[in-house]
Amino acid sequence: MTQKNPLIQTLQELETEALDAIRAALDGEALEVLRVSYLGRKGRVSGILRGLGDLSADERPPVGAEANRVKEVLQEALEARETEVSASREEIGAPAEDLTLPARHRWSGGVHPVNQVIDEIWTIFQSMGFVRARGPEADTEWYNFLALNTPLDHPAVDEQDTFYLKDFVLLRSHTSPVQVRTMEKHEPPIRILAPGMVYRRDSYDATHTPAFAQIEGLVVDEGITFVDFKATLAEFARRFWGPGTKVRFRPSFFPFTEPSAEVDVKRMITMKDGTRVESDWIEIMGAGMVDPNVLENVGYDPEHYTGFAFGMGPARIALLKYGVPDLRMFFQNDVRFLSQFTSQSLSQLTDRDAP
Amino acid sequence: MNISYAWLKSVAPGLGDSPEELAERLALLGAPVEEVTPVSAGLKDVIIGEVKTVSGHPNADRLSLCEVFNGEEVVQVVCGAPVIEEGGYYPFAAAGVTLPGGLELKRAKIRGEYSNGMLCSEKELGLGRDQSGIMLLSGDVSAGQSLIEALGLDDVRMDVEVTPNRGDWLSHVGIAREVAPDGVAGVALQSIPGASSLDLEVKTGEHDVSHGDVTIRIDEPELCYRFLGVIIRGVKVEPSPQWMAARLRAVGQQTINNVVDATNYVMMEMGSPMHAYDLGTLEESSLIVRKATEGETLQTLDGLDHKFDAEMLLIGDTAVAHDIAGIMGGMHSSVTEETTDILIECALFEPKSIRRTRRALGISTEASFRFERGVDPEGHLPAMKRVLEVILATAGGDVDGPILEVLPRPWEPSTLTLRPTRVEQVLGIPFESAELKALLTPLGFTVQNGGGEGGDLSVTVPGYRSYDVTREIDLIEEITRAHGYDRFPDDLAPARPTTVPDHPLFQLEDRLRIVLSGEGLFEAANPAFASEHEGEVELNNPISLEESRLRSSLIPGLLRNVEYNFARGVRDVRLFELGTVFHAAGAGEPPREDLHVAFAVTGRREPEHWSRTGDALDFWSIKGLVETVLSVSGWDDASEAEVEAGEVAGGSAGEAAGKLFVRRSSITLMADGTPTGAAGQVRPDRVDAPAWAGAIWAMELTLPAEPAVEVTPEYRPLSPFPGVDRDLALLVPYDVSTSTVSRAIRDAGGELLEQVTVFDLYRGDGVSEGHRSLAFRLRLQALDRTLTDKEVDRMVKKIMKRLGEDLGVEQRL
Repeated sequence: MTQKNPLIQTLQELETEALDAIRAALDGEALEVLRVSYLGRKGRVSGILRGLGDLSADERPPVGAEANRVKEVLQEALEARETEVSASREEIGAPAEDLTLPARHRWSGGVHPVNQVIDEIWTIFQSMGFVRARGPEADTEWYNFLALNTPLDHPAVDEQDTFYLKDFVLLRSHTSPVQVRTMEKHEPPIRILAPGMVYRRDSYDATHTPAFAQIEGLVVDEGITFVDFKATLAEFARRFWGPGTKVRFRPSFFPFTEPSAEVDVKRMITMKDGTRVESDWIEIMGAGMVDPNVLENVGYDPEHYTGFAFGMGPARIALLKYGVPDLRMFFQNDVRFLSQFTSQSLSQLTDRDAP
Repeated sequence: MNISYAWLKSVAPGLGDSPEELAERLALLGAPVEEVTPVSAGLKDVIIGEVKTVSGHPNADRLSLCEVFNGEEVVQVVCGAPVIEEGGYYPFAAAGVTLPGGLELKRAKIRGEYSNGMLCSEKELGLGRDQSGIMLLSGDVSAGQSLIEALGLDDVRMDVEVTPNRGDWLSHVGIAREVAPDGVAGVALQSIPGASSLDLEVKTGEHDVSHGDVTIRIDEPELCYRFLGVIIRGVKVEPSPQWMAARLRAVGQQTINNVVDATNYVMMEMGSPMHAYDLGTLEESSLIVRKATEGETLQTLDGLDHKFDAEMLLIGDTAVAHDIAGIMGGMHSSVTEETTDILIECALFEPKSIRRTRRALGISTEASFRFERGVDPEGHLPAMKRVLEVILATAGGDVDGPILEVLPRPWEPSTLTLRPTRVEQVLGIPFESAELKALLTPLGFTVQNGGGEGGDLSVTVPGYRSYDVTREIDLIEEITRAHGYDRFPDDLAPARPTTVPDHPLFQLEDRLRIVLSGEGLFEAANPAFASEHEGEVELNNPISLEESRLRSSLIPGLLRNVEYNFARGVRDVRLFELGTVFHAAGAGEPPREDLHVAFAVTGRREPEHWSRTGDALDFWSIKGLVETVLSVSGWDDASEAEVEAGEVAGGSAGEAAGKLFVRRSSITLMADGTPTGAAGQVRPDRVDAPAWAGAIWAMELTLPAEPAVEVTPEYRPLSPFPGVDRDLALLVPYDVSTSTVSRAIRDAGGELLEQVTVFDLYRGDGVSEGHRSLAFRLRLQALDRTLTDKEVDRMVKKIMKRLGEDLGVEQRL
């Protein structure tokens, strides 16, 4: 090991001394004096750097490197202290920047409100062991009606005026075909949620659009009963609509479920003055035990397997949840509208114009 | 289905519920009540006026002046109705009264003559659909009397929503069976005022049956299961008595005359549609249920002319049609004030044939609505007896002969087996056989022990439930309903995990939504329709030309959304959409569907801030966004195509992109070596934009049907030794792309080259013709040592040699 060059020793002592002095300096003026005395043209570190030429070729690189390092350290220390003292100067009464000026933000974006509702619904069902399934939006009469125990000349078909593309091919009028397609491909246990677009020949008005989102659910296994059906959907409804929600099951009719039900909720609404009132009963989904004919159509033994199915309209739920007056607004894509459904916490933090 | 509360109580005498309680119970039985309205709503102040004199209005041909006695005084009323009888009684609303529709009457001068109120039509009073003339009142009424009292309007109308499976609920008796305290046992018909008891024989034939010169016959036993006919001679056709008119009005039925009203009354009460013919107009004195001859015609009661095909079922004689079977009667044979002899028909038709015919003809009637949903095959004889009772009591006349019945095949009720074990398997709680019997019997089912093991039951289905209860599961639904859905527990039990995987496309959509909304874009949603110019796949039955096809691209919808926002003064619009697009497929095949992601953005790069002026979005921002999308798009290998600006790669995507984007600022997106999308500046002529609007940038990408599984990141060691930056100013010919140069640098640099950054572009003085100066910063670093100047110099030399030889790129000195 070679002896350390004495100049390196000097440099390190200088470094310690200067850092102490910098830490002790109270204002910019003092710091400027220190800068000049160490790093200025005639300063002490600069002096050593200037003297490098007098050294031998072997000594030169290590001393030069060390001198450069010390120079950098001191420069950084001076800058850091400068920031500190200028900040403390403002604390003691010098004119400050107006910190109430608006902050700098990036653009905020957001997921479509109907998809937010679908996500929320999905999160609840996911926690109950459901997975998501999908199927085509253009499908056949078999999947949309016949396999679902719905003869084409049944009056129930009138209630879903269907778009046709060509013979036997149509735009699905509900997400229920996904039930059939999933059961054809998989064996029980089935626990699926199938969000997707569906189509019906309704003209646009405040409560109808010819295309809209629907969410289908299906559970099939051994030993699935009406009690499981009620329990699962009541659990969902209470979690989605919040504490205090009442759930009611009413008999209804769908060709592909038997018994069939409509599910209603009565939720607690918080008024502007903070009081909580009960809403009317709101219809939120159609549901029921899977009709044995549907199970038979996909090759399941209905004496062995039972199940339940349900369907709901997330756009209608979004309407209720957010108080939107007209379904068509979900398709207008007015950014002033869409930006209302971004994270609450963020829009409260800032008062900038939306969006 | 409109139900009169008073009528319902009359057929269910034990019913004690108020209308509101009844509505709640019906909802829980499966027949929600949409509206409960007093029949007399808004009629409190309407009275009976007696028209003393009628004279022409001096200044208007179509108006008349009536002197109306309101019980206290005679007032002048201007009236526009074509026929007003002197001495007639009419509903009269005096000035100051507000009618049910919200019309507030004022004393007004009409063409110079004062009118102190209004004589009203059924429609104006909300009592019916007839607006042709003002409502002439008959019977025991007097001037000044309240209209509610005079018409017996003190009733409540309940609009019951009946599901398509429950045709048996389309009558008062049908509803009463469900709500009467003892179920079917608690249903009883009220006797008709003035009716005497009848004891009629039934004369039955398999194909036809006659009495005197009158014959009824079924030629189509597959479409008409039963046909009852009765002749009544010597009826006096006149307006219906008040009690019948009041009930029909309460359920929203128009009143016509005592005979026609009687058939409607019994249909509303018991559910069997029927029709009365003027026997005198039937030239052959026969009614045959037969198919139409192709092109045969009939003018129906509503005055419309219909033309039939050979599949449609009619009732007529051999030459002339008199009735569209189960749908509507003909005008010519209808019962009028001149009619004296009538023939009543009460028949049972096959639902699908009725449905096909009425859809083809584009009409729907009370009768067809019931036949489509199934009319009680056991209900015809009771209904026929009831209608005779009503007609004889209100129109007089004498029954001529027996009840004629054509019955090709007697109806047999079906019997189903009900297993308590199956009930528990489906419903989750056990029921004893006795409980099941107690639940089903009040609904009209006959329950007997079926023998066998496990207490199986044998259940006979009543006629009115023969359409919807055909299987054991249908009985189980009845048990559930009768027990009460709300009385079943709802305890959550553990479930077995499913064998179905969560669909990866949903996960891909989730990822894209998070990334794009995080980039400051709002998610848009557009219906998947396109105009005839845009989509490939046509709809057979579109609503409008603008939505007559299915979209093959998301961008047109997003551009319309941008226009919508521009029109509302919004300059900064950043939208993305995830949605299905459709492409034509082979004959008989459903179209091909792809999931696409697209965006359209315009305006500033960042929100306005006081510290600086905002720059507009430009190509480089968009390219960044595109690369972000590509990195999470689920494609294994996705990038921008290596083509010069404006050159568009092949394929239909490229072709469409060529028409959509400004040529020099668009790029093709490649996935797995195929053009799969495009991005660029939208051509100004594609958008209706105001003068202040900035450029619009858009992208569309097809997503993979089976997205790649996300690769788990792998750790690479971090060097403990300092890296060295070296800047290179390069003279690059215009025909050599920056990405080519970058790749060559990386290639030559090998492992030591940690990072290559382009940090400046310069054209102009000092740069030779045909070249530009690109400044690259190279960061070199080794894992095991500090790089020496010599090593770095060697590396730069190697890179420059490669650039010079392969690309003609020189260092700018």
